[in-house]
Amino acid sequence: MAMTLNQLVLRSMRKNAKNYYLYVFALIFSVTLYYSFVTLQYNPAITKEIGNGMTATILKAASYLLLFIVIFFVLYANKLFMNRRSKEIGLYQLVGMPKGLVTRLIAIENIILWLGAIILGVFMGFITSRIFVMILLKIIEKDAFVELSFSIEALLRTVIVFLLLLMVVILQTAMRIRRVSLLSLITTTVVADEKVKKFNAFQMILGFIGLVFIGYGYYLSTTLLDLLDDPTLTPDKMLIQLLLILTLTIGGTYFVFRFSVALILNMVRKSKKGLMSVADVLSLSTIMHRMKSSAMSLTTITILSATTLGILTLAYISYYSADAMAQDSVSYDYVMYEDTGFDLIDEFDKEGIQYTRHDLDLLAVQADVRPLLLKEFALKKDVSTLLTVQVVSQKDIQNKLPNLQLKEDEGYIVGYDSLSAENIRLESEKPIQFITSTGTDEIFITEVTEESLVPNYHNYNFITVIVSDFYFQKLLHDPLNENQKIVGMELKEEDQLKKAEEVFEENKVSVEIPYPSGLATKTVSVESQEIYRLDILNSFGLTIFISGFLGLAFLIATGSILYFKQMSEADEEKGAYTILRKMGFTTNEIMKGIRRKQLFNFGFPLLIGLSHSYFAVKAGWVFFGTELVAPLLITMSIYIILYSIFAILSAGYYRKVVENAF
Amino acid sequence: MIILRGRKIKKVFGKKTNTQEVLKDIDIEVREGEFVGIMGPSGSGKTTLLNVLASIDKVTEGMIEINNFNLQKMKEQKLAQFRREQLGFVFQDYNLLDTLTVKENIYLPLSVGKVPKTVAEKKIKDITTLLGIEDILNKYPNEISGGQKQRTSAARALVGNPSIVFADEPTGALDSKSATALLSNLEKINKEKKVTIMMVTHDPVAASFCSRVLFLKDGQIYSELYKGEKDRKQFYREIMNTQSVLSGDGYDA
Repeated sequence: MAMTLNQLVLRSMRKNAKNYYLYVFALIFSVTLYYSFVTLQYNPAITKEIGNGMTATILKAASYLLLFIVIFFVLYANKLFMNRRSKEIGLYQLVGMPKGLVTRLIAIENIILWLGAIILGVFMGFITSRIFVMILLKIIEKDAFVELSFSIEALLRTVIVFLLLLMVVILQTAMRIRRVSLLSLITTTVVADEKVKKFNAFQMILGFIGLVFIGYGYYLSTTLLDLLDDPTLTPDKMLIQLLLILTLTIGGTYFVFRFSVALILNMVRKSKKGLMSVADVLSLSTIMHRMKSSAMSLTTITILSATTLGILTLAYISYYSADAMAQDSVSYDYVMYEDTGFDLIDEFDKEGIQYTRHDLDLLAVQADVRPLLLKEFALKKDVSTLLTVQVVSQKDIQNKLPNLQLKEDEGYIVGYDSLSAENIRLESEKPIQFITSTGTDEIFITEVTEESLVPNYHNYNFITVIVSDFYFQKLLHDPLNENQKIVGMELKEEDQLKKAEEVFEENKVSVEIPYPSGLATKTVSVESQEIYRLDILNSFGLTIFISGFLGLAFLIATGSILYFKQMSEADEEKGAYTILRKMGFTTNEIMKGIRRKQLFNFGFPLLIGLSHSYFAVKAGWVFFGTELVAPLLITMSIYIILYSIFAILSAGYYRKVVENAF
Repeated sequence: MIILRGRKIKKVFGKKTNTQEVLKDIDIEVREGEFVGIMGPSGSGKTTLLNVLASIDKVTEGMIEINNFNLQKMKEQKLAQFRREQLGFVFQDYNLLDTLTVKENIYLPLSVGKVPKTVAEKKIKDITTLLGIEDILNKYPNEISGGQKQRTSAARALVGNPSIVFADEPTGALDSKSATALLSNLEKINKEKKVTIMMVTHDPVAASFCSRVLFLKDGQIYSELYKGEKDRKQFYREIMNTQSVLSGDGYDA
């Protein structure tokens, strides 16, 4: 043999550069992501800064999840890569190269590629890990400086993981070469597409079942929260319910892709009676004939998108809600109870910090909310409507609600948040009954709002009723009711916050306040909204960061897979474009049909993924924060934009293929 | 009326140091209603000639006019539109779209024009009846025979009433029976509908269906034969004779 194996490998690698770049990109991307994450995981400074007993565990769990993504992605990329080269491999065998030699050739190639990718990936991972730390610290609003040294431990781990993966890939390739006959190797690019010819009742039913599955899964997800109130609920039962929902939606999604889509498209095609425009030809019939082979990957992409979106949205909800939650719990920049913490006021004066002071009387009053219940709302048996509500006088809240005008017997509810709404559904234009020592008073509620304007002192996160000053005096003098004097301080200048925080740190005090019963005491301290907010950020920060990180990894992996898939589809369809162009169709006319196809290939999984994630988020968001709509829309929009990049990239690839098809 | 006119057509492949002149100053004229065959040994440039005449490839030098449109002066976009409206194509490997039924394939050239659906239906019905494929309209290409595929391809080329149809070895992949059937069909359509056809072939039998045969050698027109009043057998013999003269020894067809 004149040419040595090594020469042959190098020569074929040079020739295949176009095929390689995708595969190499997938490899480098995976190594980069994995290495930078593991670097964070093994960095003691991180665990210290974000200081939380769970930190190490969370990081470890996340690294496994990341590993899963990486394995999935790399194996998929390898599969596509091998598909594209099946002709070349067939040719080697055709000229008489034994299978063992071909395997060795591919193995050497892979080893060279992988080693290169690992070196480059680790280098890039080292750089990106710094960026990730900066992002993480930014999220939790810490000014700390984290020194990141090159982690040998992380390197070792990355190398071990990827070398193992390389072995799997080589083994897979070897088995593939061994198993496959020469003939089939040469013809794999000719996809054995299913021809949807006849109207098939069985397929129709399966397609319909898919829709029913998804619908029922969605329905079950909406009942998940109610399930929590079920006294007979066991963790097993909850798990079964969750698994059922997952099975229904994932199975349903597959059925929809596998059966409904092709069926519906075929019906549309039939309705055209053979007279299809070029755009239809390139979208409708191509998609229809490919559905059998692409149903699985489209389902995977849908589910991955839904998972990513769900995780990202939930994480973002907690991040987004930090402000609102801080505002809910500490309604003024600083809140002081009774005579606690008045030193702080003196200190503020001394330091020249500008503030407005609001004095409030907070009453704890027994009330029956039964008349206020939403008519359709079925109250659960064991939930009592006799509750302690917090009452505040209109004049005390004037600064926050300047337009509020209440008559003597009118009230206005604030602080009716989503969690309260889960248990008790209230509506306005109805009365609430206050229990006083002289009987019950009916107060007509003009409005029920979510905003929490008053510090919650008397009842944890339940409603506060604003009443007229006149009626408030009556309640105030009723011996049944407990009063708490509160001072809220609002900074006048936002940029004095930092200074105010320093003063606050030095004057933190807490006191024990006895309950009216005198049996127990509770600890009350001067509260700072900023500190509360930072606390929330700190405890959610890592989760948010990790979900963001994994979300990005998922997004890039799914987007790339779709892009790779579209690339090979474009290459396979090149013949059709050549025919059309010879017949006199312009690139633009052909691209019109392709864009429609792209809209389906990217848009449909995205749409179903969005819908899935919406229901998933809806089922459990109340545990993560107080805002649903804004974080959901923001996350979805960003996801759609990033995802579209891949659609645009693949459209660009198609255009190149069409332009060269002649 | 002259429908196609080519003047001093030159085509050079390759770059700078390594060039090869495939077509050397070819002059050609085709009248309306002619059925022209192009023959010649491998490498004589017959497919290249067809491609440049059909606007699929560009000439290096020279001028080509079809229906008084100068191909060299048209922009890419315009050229595509021209191809779609004025030309029809039949290729050796059928070039049908696998994902479309026979009918959908045939409809393609009509799909962009402003042909009303009822008119389109009628045109498809007429041409498929003429070619004897009206019963397989709803079948996919992988369900029909090679002969049927090529007739589908011909139907697609003819359905838009093109000024001229270009066929590149249309019988190359067919058995002799299917080939003869297809050629008889083309001959019939050429005679009855006055469709101008230009066909590249290396098969003297196929060429004998033409009204005129051009012989290419080394990128130049070597000679041409008119059928005139001769019958097909006589014409076939003439073609064979010319071929053997042309190749001297070892004609490769």
